[in-house]
Amino acid sequence: MRLTRANLVLGAFLIGAVVIGGVLAPWLAHTDPVMDANLMNAETAPGREFWFGTDGQGRDVYSRVLYGARTSLTVGIVSQLINSVIGVTLGVSSGYWGGWWDDWVSGLTNMMLAIPSLIFALAIMAILSPGITSLLIALGLTNWSYSCRISRAATLSLKGQGFVQAAKMLGYGDVRIMLTQILPNILGPIIVIGTLGMGGAVLAEAALSFLGLGIRPPAPSWGSMLSNAREQITTAPWVAIFPGLAIFFTVLGLNLLGDGLRDLLDPQSKARV
Amino acid sequence: MTAYVLRRLWQMVPILLAVALLIFVIFSVVPGTFASATAADGRNVVDAQVLERMNREFGLNDPVHVRFGKYVAQLATFDLGISLRSREPVTVVLGQRLWPTLQLTLAAMLLALALGVPLGFVAALKSGGWVDSLSMVFAISGLSVPLFWLGLMLMYLFALVLGWLPSFGYGDPSHLVLPALALCVFPMALLARTTRAVVLEILHADFVRTARAKGMSEMRVVRWHLVRNAMVIVLTMAGLQFGSVIGQAVVIEKLFAWPGLGSLLVDSVSTRDIPVVQGCILCIVIFFLFSNLLVDVLSARIDPRIKYT
Amino acid sequence: MWKKLVLAAAIVFAHGVQAQTPETPRKGGTIRFTAPYGASFGGMDIHATNLAQDEIWARAIHRALYKWDSALNKPVLELAKTVSVSSNGLVYTYQLRDDAFFHHGRRMTADDVIWSFNRIVEPGKSYPGARFVRAIKGAVEVEKGEAKTISGLRKINDFTIEMTLAQRIDPAYNFNLAVTAIYPADEAVKESFARKPIGLGPFKFAEYVPGSRIVMERFDKFYAKGKPHADKLVIYVMGDAAARDVAFRNKEVDVSVLGPAQYVAYRGDANLSKSILEVTENYTRYMGMNSSFKPFADKRVRQAVNHAIDADLIIKKMVYDKAYRASGWLPTTSSAFDKNLKPYSYDLALARKLLTEAGYPNGFEFEITASSNESWGSPIAEAFIPMLAKAGIKAKIVPVDGTVLGERVRKGDYQAYLWSNGSGPDPLAALKCFHSATPRSACNYTEFKSPAVDKILDDADRMGPGNPKRDEVLKQANALVYDEAPYWFFNYNKAVLAHQPWIKGLQRNANEMAWQNYEDIWVDASSPAAK
Repeated sequence: MRLTRANLVLGAFLIGAVVIGGVLAPWLAHTDPVMDANLMNAETAPGREFWFGTDGQGRDVYSRVLYGARTSLTVGIVSQLINSVIGVTLGVSSGYWGGWWDDWVSGLTNMMLAIPSLIFALAIMAILSPGITSLLIALGLTNWSYSCRISRAATLSLKGQGFVQAAKMLGYGDVRIMLTQILPNILGPIIVIGTLGMGGAVLAEAALSFLGLGIRPPAPSWGSMLSNAREQITTAPWVAIFPGLAIFFTVLGLNLLGDGLRDLLDPQSKARV
Repeated sequence: MTAYVLRRLWQMVPILLAVALLIFVIFSVVPGTFASATAADGRNVVDAQVLERMNREFGLNDPVHVRFGKYVAQLATFDLGISLRSREPVTVVLGQRLWPTLQLTLAAMLLALALGVPLGFVAALKSGGWVDSLSMVFAISGLSVPLFWLGLMLMYLFALVLGWLPSFGYGDPSHLVLPALALCVFPMALLARTTRAVVLEILHADFVRTARAKGMSEMRVVRWHLVRNAMVIVLTMAGLQFGSVIGQAVVIEKLFAWPGLGSLLVDSVSTRDIPVVQGCILCIVIFFLFSNLLVDVLSARIDPRIKYT
Repeated sequence: MWKKLVLAAAIVFAHGVQAQTPETPRKGGTIRFTAPYGASFGGMDIHATNLAQDEIWARAIHRALYKWDSALNKPVLELAKTVSVSSNGLVYTYQLRDDAFFHHGRRMTADDVIWSFNRIVEPGKSYPGARFVRAIKGAVEVEKGEAKTISGLRKINDFTIEMTLAQRIDPAYNFNLAVTAIYPADEAVKESFARKPIGLGPFKFAEYVPGSRIVMERFDKFYAKGKPHADKLVIYVMGDAAARDVAFRNKEVDVSVLGPAQYVAYRGDANLSKSILEVTENYTRYMGMNSSFKPFADKRVRQAVNHAIDADLIIKKMVYDKAYRASGWLPTTSSAFDKNLKPYSYDLALARKLLTEAGYPNGFEFEITASSNESWGSPIAEAFIPMLAKAGIKAKIVPVDGTVLGERVRKGDYQAYLWSNGSGPDPLAALKCFHSATPRSACNYTEFKSPAVDKILDDADRMGPGNPKRDEVLKQANALVYDEAPYWFFNYNKAVLAHQPWIKGLQRNANEMAWQNYEDIWVDASSPAAK
């Protein structure tokens, strides 16, 4: 469908730009994002020397946005990876084995679903020392419930199917069946959830920075750059505009990509939206 | 139905206990005690004796299992302890913030439903056209903006530049508009997309049925089933979004100085007023569980095929 | 012709007189204040909480024995008309006001004063004001539960009390904050008091919306005649600086405490720059260097650090001039401040020379424990780390949460740390932190030890608070400490309060700009809340 293709192309383009920016940051950037803090240059407007201007400490915003791409991509990818691994492991196993394990996992999932994820992440960030590792732990541990639910539902419907029964009769072990028969079939929805979740993780990082619990300076992260710049809007708006645009286009790209992938892989999906 | 509701209420208890246990564990290892937080800004010379008496008065030095035992015993009597900062009972402190929180989250959800559902509906009817594309672009953009940024921009535009609304405060409805507007964008976008998707399904099914042309009454019955199904899906999505809205409200409350549970939570975390933090989170969870129950009950009302045994 | 001249002269004369008459406070209107240090108040019992945020509203409703006078820059008698001190400086006899009424109508008596002080040191509770009341003889026993009432407080008659101190200090510095406010003995025991406080202040409680605002109305029987001027006082809780900025520009609030970034913005604006109040606060920002960390045990190394960092540049560029360069621990508003003391010069060559002399020709490495505070936290460290690197000193930041910083410092669990501490208003109390007898857990965070300083401080103690020579002597102690350089002395905070043009009577309080005496403030007719 035209819309699917448009989504995929645009999403891939945006994300591609972000990935290239992040990966090639050391070559594309003009300065070191942390150490090159020359106070004499503080808050210069965008121009020939500093494409995106400089911030309050005299650091080049352009370079920091490029390096910030690494942080945001890391946050997005790793946290979603953790989410997916936990969610799929718990979901597939509980769907397949059932019994007390299923009860226990369902109870745990219910509990996790009852706490809004931002609040849970807030609580975890409060107890860990500030930094990117803590953020990854906080986001990774609080967002797996949805993929767990989906995996479990899919496993339940798959496990009665012919090919699974056949594998059982051939004497395959449970784990082997889960890995080789069930997992490949749920990969589609999981990838979609993961892609959409990455956008959520980037936004969550910004929200936690606003609340004072995100990644701390001087590490370049779009969320903390945006949050710390809100007081400089009247004197140096560029310090906030560029990280803000970066977040917007990245999350937009992830959302578009996720939409496109979902339409591509599973057009009948009831897990729409 | 009543049996179902009662059973759901009963099932909430272990969930709440599990959450209470979880947040107790989390906040028993939080660095920095209330006493040390009072001196964190460097203004007060820390008086060692007052610190020590504070720790003793609030039992902050007791071993973990003693504190946990006290905590559970208090929970059993619906006693959430006292605030370390003001020495008021936590239930009183929370009670003062309940109504503002309800106002904000309900207003945001209602706005989201009132704006999002029609938008999705129209987009589905005019599917493929520029209305559809524009509204979906708008929706997906709404899902990509950091919330505090959106709130700040709204504040600048409507309060400072245009002067139509106050930029902060609590009291009359004009103070509610900007916070609710900022908070409703995300769920509105999702609801628009959901509505569009389910309406498209209905329309396509319609199309298929009329192609078979089996007769008016069957088509009407089928459409009615699909509409009810669609309403349930939208309602369920709204219910799920409510939980997310309660969480996101923390950001909006801090920005607009809205006196709800979210701003109390953030403030108490920074002052390490642990009983209040625990109480806030429990309160928020209860909110969410009740709203889920409400959604399920309404769904059953709308679509009697949904039977809860 | 003559008549016209006389008439003209009369008109000119009248105009001249009018121009010279000082503005008379206008009666009426609403003062709209902001409390910027958090998102809530800690309840309505001011004895229970000592956060700066809570003092903001408590000053309107409550009064303590003394009141801070910003014009004189010292505390003055408030609830007492006169005080006489015994010759040994330990017994203070107060003649209390007989015209002070509580908001519920009853006159204040000595019983209320005694009851309030006893409440503050109640054994089961840990009220923060206990640290001030402990100066009274017998208070410690009550705290420990060994006595029922403070033996050092004696009622002579309904309006006279006799206070015997445990040490020779000036009680004015202990009893001018609302944590030591005088409560009505009959009302304060009731449960309703926690929701509707009753005090002796110029405004009485009207409404409290937790997390949003507190509304107060003029108390007509306030003892200062003609005050307060305003009809109503509303204090809004507004913790987010960006939002407060919008509200201020939108004329929804009358005052806003400014942070460094906003200070620049307001200074650069033609209109806003006209109504900014600045004062040097009694807070010194510094980097403490642990004397038990080997390189820092040598005074030359510490001095080298002071010479290697261009503090003026950092103040100008990062703090946007919202601070004054520190030349010693005591700030400019301190009575023992010596303006002739020169700050450490920015001299890389000298720094390297001192390091080489001390045995570190290639520098050394150390860790700085810092919070994320924009004015005295890791951003500052990030700015001077490159400077230290030029002298061969490599530094790394250990980021900690604000609440943890104090704990680590008090335990000595650091090599260096960045902090902001009160350095006033009483210079002796501030310098006592450098006395070797003061434990690290109290405020001698780097375990500073200097017999010369100890001797001067002991002498000053013996001189007693009234002695004019005391300040001279303390200046010497301050200079000695500065030379020993236990800290990298950074700056004294400049508190900045932006206010709307229609609000008058604001005071430059060096303790905390947000703490104002509301009875002296009024709004003129151009305020949107002038009714």
